[in-house]
Amino acid sequence: MDKMILLKDDLSKFITELLKKNKVFAPIQSDDTILFDQITRPSEMNLDFCKSEIPPKNLLFHQTETLFKFTPGTKAKIESVDVDEKKVIFGIRPCDAKSIAILDHAFKGDYEDPYFLSRRDNTALVGLSCNKPEINCFCTSFDDSPASSKYVDILLTDIGDKYYVEMNNEKGKQLTEGMSNLFKHAKESDAKKKKEVEKKAVDMISRHQKTNGIVEKLDKIFENPFWKEVAFKCVGCGTCTYLCPTCHCFDIQDESTLTKGARVRVWDTCMNPEYTLQASGYNPRPARTNRVKNRIYHKYNYYPKNFDVIACVGCGRCIDLCPVNIDIIDVVTRAGEVKA
Amino acid sequence: MKENPYQPWLATIEDVREEVGGKRPIKTFKLKFQDKNVQNNFTFLPGQCAMVSLLGMGECFFAISSSPTKKGYIEVSVMKLGKVTTALHESETGDVVGVRGPYGNYFDVEGWKGKNLVFIGGGIGQAPLRSLINYIVDNRKNYGKLDVIYGARSSKDLSYKQEFDELEKRKDVNVHLSIDVEEDGWKKFVGFVPDNLLKVKPSPNNSIAITCGPPIMIKFVIQNLEKLGYTEDQIFTTLEMRMKCGIGKCGRCNIGNLYVCKDGPVFSYKQLKNIYGER
Amino acid sequence: MVDEKELRDVVKKTISRDDVKYVVGYEKGTYGFQATPCFAYKPEDAEKFIFSPLCVHNLTVFPMLEEKPPLRKGEEPDTRKIGVVVKGCDSRAIVQILQEKGLERDKVVIIGIPCSGVIDPKKIEAKFPGHIKKVEVNDEDDKFAVTVDGKTQKIPKDELMPEKCKTCEYPNPVLYDILIGKEIKSKKKEDYKKVNAFEKKSMKEKWDYWEKQFEKCIRCYACRNACPLCYCKECMVDQLNPQWVRRSVNLSENTAWNLLRAFHLAGRCIGCEQCERACPMGIPLMKLNKKIEKEIKEMFEYEAGISAEEKPLLAMFKPDDPEEFIL
Repeated sequence: MDKMILLKDDLSKFITELLKKNKVFAPIQSDDTILFDQITRPSEMNLDFCKSEIPPKNLLFHQTETLFKFTPGTKAKIESVDVDEKKVIFGIRPCDAKSIAILDHAFKGDYEDPYFLSRRDNTALVGLSCNKPEINCFCTSFDDSPASSKYVDILLTDIGDKYYVEMNNEKGKQLTEGMSNLFKHAKESDAKKKKEVEKKAVDMISRHQKTNGIVEKLDKIFENPFWKEVAFKCVGCGTCTYLCPTCHCFDIQDESTLTKGARVRVWDTCMNPEYTLQASGYNPRPARTNRVKNRIYHKYNYYPKNFDVIACVGCGRCIDLCPVNIDIIDVVTRAGEVKA
Repeated sequence: MKENPYQPWLATIEDVREEVGGKRPIKTFKLKFQDKNVQNNFTFLPGQCAMVSLLGMGECFFAISSSPTKKGYIEVSVMKLGKVTTALHESETGDVVGVRGPYGNYFDVEGWKGKNLVFIGGGIGQAPLRSLINYIVDNRKNYGKLDVIYGARSSKDLSYKQEFDELEKRKDVNVHLSIDVEEDGWKKFVGFVPDNLLKVKPSPNNSIAITCGPPIMIKFVIQNLEKLGYTEDQIFTTLEMRMKCGIGKCGRCNIGNLYVCKDGPVFSYKQLKNIYGER
Repeated sequence: MVDEKELRDVVKKTISRDDVKYVVGYEKGTYGFQATPCFAYKPEDAEKFIFSPLCVHNLTVFPMLEEKPPLRKGEEPDTRKIGVVVKGCDSRAIVQILQEKGLERDKVVIIGIPCSGVIDPKKIEAKFPGHIKKVEVNDEDDKFAVTVDGKTQKIPKDELMPEKCKTCEYPNPVLYDILIGKEIKSKKKEDYKKVNAFEKKSMKEKWDYWEKQFEKCIRCYACRNACPLCYCKECMVDQLNPQWVRRSVNLSENTAWNLLRAFHLAGRCIGCEQCERACPMGIPLMKLNKKIEKEIKEMFEYEAGISAEEKPLLAMFKPDDPEEFIL
């Protein structure tokens, strides 16, 4: 793994180079929010942020995705759509990058999801270490760090007047091919500086979730009244799931006129009773308790059982935005303490 | 782009058979793929499902109700309930649908060779059992005693009447039909399916019981099978849930960490007892 | 300043009644400036109840969220009352729901608290960023006394209050069974300053503004779920046959959703701002609601959620109703 240095003054040159061969998506400020969107010039970016309002998963797993187009009727026809495009996500946080590695499991498997996986193959992740974690950040609870390079192709860490650059893999190297004039080899002192920056960020994270043995513990407390206590204040708004970087449930619907149409898939939420409501009127998860429990179990029990990883990266978005303070750090930590 | 599991093949409705009329009608649709290669490559086993769609209305997940021994087409039996099933009921011969699959696991027809089989179905729950029964009957010599227990609310609500007439004529299959409420001219059992099961009393020795129907029926059937001495690994059922993708991605059909569409729909009672989760 | 002991005693007394299922009120949240809804099922539970300017939630949403699972054989439905702690604005939601017969009067015990303004959590979190330890916030006339790490700062209310409190005409619950403390007087007046200013913009400016806002919408429907008046058994947006709004998230469908919702709340919105507070994308939904509220007030001299005996606006007709708005 190559360790390089990119001078801050050269950042816009780097972005300009990337823009020559790729669509580049980067954090953009809009009103009070930061969102990842396509940029055409380096100056459009805003790198002074902690986390984007919507996690950048939406660049690979679109909120609205046309699966295919069709002509209805007896002369029915189906027309495939193409999703291949070279893309760079610049400035993705290590936690959000990890979520994409977690989503890989859901979209791979016996049936491969061509939309997500095609995009994934064609997308390079240029990460940016998080140097000012916010109040509800807890990525360190999963043995990860706000400056982890594990899940990105290239990681940039702001170490003052320059970025410490970790070329993580072939994809990263390929992306920067022909840009060697921008990158210099890092010195020992630069690596030390990165460690310091990382430690400072880690020390800023003051909330922690206890996940030791949580998978096994949840196995034992499915029927526990604890869940009613947790879920009763839920208003079922679904913000937690829509803005979760690892949530991946979707609905599929046909949207058409008499002569043409498309089958689209749209993000869905298990917080909505219609999500599991059967046409007969029967609903296996009729109450908020069932639904909130499903959200927690999916992340901390079902996903680890199926894919050996907790489906939470500790970004804290669900805590920040819950209108009734359902706090996953608190819920999971307390679940671990419930007497089975 | 990679191979696309969301994109259906086109199939033509070859025949529509009305199984049950009334408020909750059931029709069986015979579907033939437009592409011969697709038709030939669409191999499945009893218990497996398919996503059938009317372009413009949406998709639904159905058990394939025809037997794999009947080549050249598949059939699905559909109760008119929601948006897609209502539109399907309005479709006619010659209309075009989208089909993808086959999905899910299947009944262990290989492992059950040499065993006595008891089928216990109720209402539309007979659809997956019909595929299985016809498969077994077409491979009759491989299996032991066969008991088919099936019931519905009234005689008008019994599906696959013609096929049952023919099954009843066979000496190597025991058919036990029932209706919930008494009716003029009905000479067979009157009462709920679980009660008919107790009356028929199939022996658990070297037997497998397979049940499908409304959740409440399944619950009492399993209780009664246990009373008759069936162990939890001798009892199988097939489940349903609201589904969208059919391939374990969209999230909604989970029971615990399993997805009914992909890891089911066929489960042994032993499996079901050991997973928790709403169903 | 609300006497929390008095509140807890009232909650204790209420939950001790045989005909009360539970009481919903507030307790301290899990971090920083958060308060959170809490429930008392038995008298001891009342000990955790609080009331402070951080209690921003409109708890009247909870009786409307009551799930009625199918009864088992021989099981009787639980018809006991629900106790709800309400501020002035919250109480108007109950009144409106009673008007619409969405709730029966004898199914709720209303515990009213006079309120001279709450704190917008976003505003206070911006002032004390990253503060995790629980804090003390008190109401002191025209200031909030915020105690962080043992140090108390007095901050003018206007700096921290949400918009609704700045022009609140109903600091006292308009309907209650038990009142905690004494009614307070308020000289505040809703003058629709912001609506008026927005009305002056050109059509294009207005459209550009809303286009930008609706483009942000992710259609999570948090606005709907947080709203006590959005209690339809099946929301029109979830209906499939016919389907009024497509699920695709794009400007056209997003606009349809947001405008349909605003119109469905015409004459019903009581201005509690829960929709705007719940919106994760920061869409200024109250701008829509306030505009409609203003029009209705001017045209029909009607205000939602004031008297339970009155008929809902859309359920009454007067021969001299203005008709200019009919095209």
